[in-house]
Amino acid sequence: MFGQGLIKGLGITFGHLFEKKITQQYPEERPVLPERFKGSFSLRVPKCIACGLCSNACPNNVIKIESEKDENNKKKLTGYKMMAERCLYCGFCVEACPTKALLWNHNFERAKFFREDVNLDLFNSYVPSPEDEKPAKPEKEEETAKPEKEEETAQAS
Amino acid sequence: MDIFIKIAGALQDWLMNGMGLSVTASELIATAVWALVAILFILVNLIILVWMERKLGAFFQMRRGPNRLGPAGFLQFPVDIVKVLGKEDIIPAAADKPIYKIASICAFVTTICAFAVIPFAKGMVLEDLNIGIFYFIAIGSTATLSLLMAGISSNNKYSFIGGMRTVAQMISYEIPMAFSLLGVVMMAGSLRLTDIVEAQQNMWFVIPQAIAFIIYFVATIAETNRGPFDLAEGEQELVAGYFTEYSGIRWAIFFIAEYGNLVAVASIATIMFLGGWNAPFGLTFLPPFLWFMIKVYCMIFMFMWVRWTFPRIRIDHLMHFGWKFLIPVSIANIMVTGIGIYVYRMITN
Repeated sequence: MFGQGLIKGLGITFGHLFEKKITQQYPEERPVLPERFKGSFSLRVPKCIACGLCSNACPNNVIKIESEKDENNKKKLTGYKMMAERCLYCGFCVEACPTKALLWNHNFERAKFFREDVNLDLFNSYVPSPEDEKPAKPEKEEETAKPEKEEETAQAS
Repeated sequence: MDIFIKIAGALQDWLMNGMGLSVTASELIATAVWALVAILFILVNLIILVWMERKLGAFFQMRRGPNRLGPAGFLQFPVDIVKVLGKEDIIPAAADKPIYKIASICAFVTTICAFAVIPFAKGMVLEDLNIGIFYFIAIGSTATLSLLMAGISSNNKYSFIGGMRTVAQMISYEIPMAFSLLGVVMMAGSLRLTDIVEAQQNMWFVIPQAIAFIIYFVATIAETNRGPFDLAEGEQELVAGYFTEYSGIRWAIFFIAEYGNLVAVASIATIMFLGGWNAPFGLTFLPPFLWFMIKVYCMIFMFMWVRWTFPRIRIDHLMHFGWKFLIPVSIANIMVTGIGIYVYRMITN
């Protein structure tokens, strides 16, 4: 019948009139982000062994690591900077991290007024939390094997 | 709610007796005051309608609409008006300046003129013309002219096409609109709007004239240049149609005229088909003026519902629909109405 589609269309929009609104009132209402959301980076400093794998994995040479050796001839992190202006958020560094010290976090509000402010200083901005002090649980055999390998590479270089 | 009528009577009485003016002078002043009241009525409605349009448009699309300023974003539009008032009045160098300047005012004036004959309640009418509906249609036709003036004087191809489309569209759809109203006039036996409302005390004309009502509804959507017939200002193809070059307050006047027209055609639909100020089912606990406004706003809701549901149609489809469908159907409706009235008279006599 002529006009049936028109009435159907009107019915659909009338239904929408009373439906729940899907707009998110962003600044007041925070978005529910998925667990693996790639926002910014956070570094659990006590877990970092300054192996430099993240820096090696980075395609854009974003990560700058500073480290020194302590009395036990063990590497200790003294600076960790990310030139985030060049970062393309591929996540290779997070994947490469053997101790899961480098992680994604849910901070997506990264807009800054000055260009320099975009860069992250993860070492100096680190806030200690008791969660980070726990030794990393070896979930798989693979992960326990990794750190040894890194030390070799670090010594070789 | 005859408080308005009482105030009007008191004002005229005060002008004549209190101020010692002659009858003519007091009537002149009173008419000027009524004209101001009409403008105020349009502006108050404009604020409500723009808010309603934005809110409803958002709700139909599952958005929230304006919600920052004032309760439920109600103050958004008054603030927008202030912003528009502060804008620079840009006139294109190659424009036909006098015509460009008066075009927007002409559009507004025709809208105000339409309100002269609309009866809001018993006795609440500026001028109860005996050819009220004829006057309304005539004034509605002149609105086309101001849009054409704006389109041509802007010296811009988009404005020009928009203006030409407006003329083609509005002239085509005026014919079915007038014919659809003719059926009602035949049944009421009068062109006076108050008589037409009085004739609907027992039955609204929307029942015997349902086809005419639908034709009127479609034709007035085209007349007011609203979606899905907003070809005159189709954003995708014509930027903004006839007011592409307009900015600031001149643009705002077009905007006011557009919404004023919407109120006017919804009022006429209420008067002609929905029983005007008569309360439905004898529910007289609300004053007639309020019933009238409720009906008008129901009509406007229908206009907005249609606007936010259907996509814009093509210009040739628009013309075909107007000339090959609406006009024959409206003429057939007049014929059937005429036969019906004749048969009714034969039976009753």
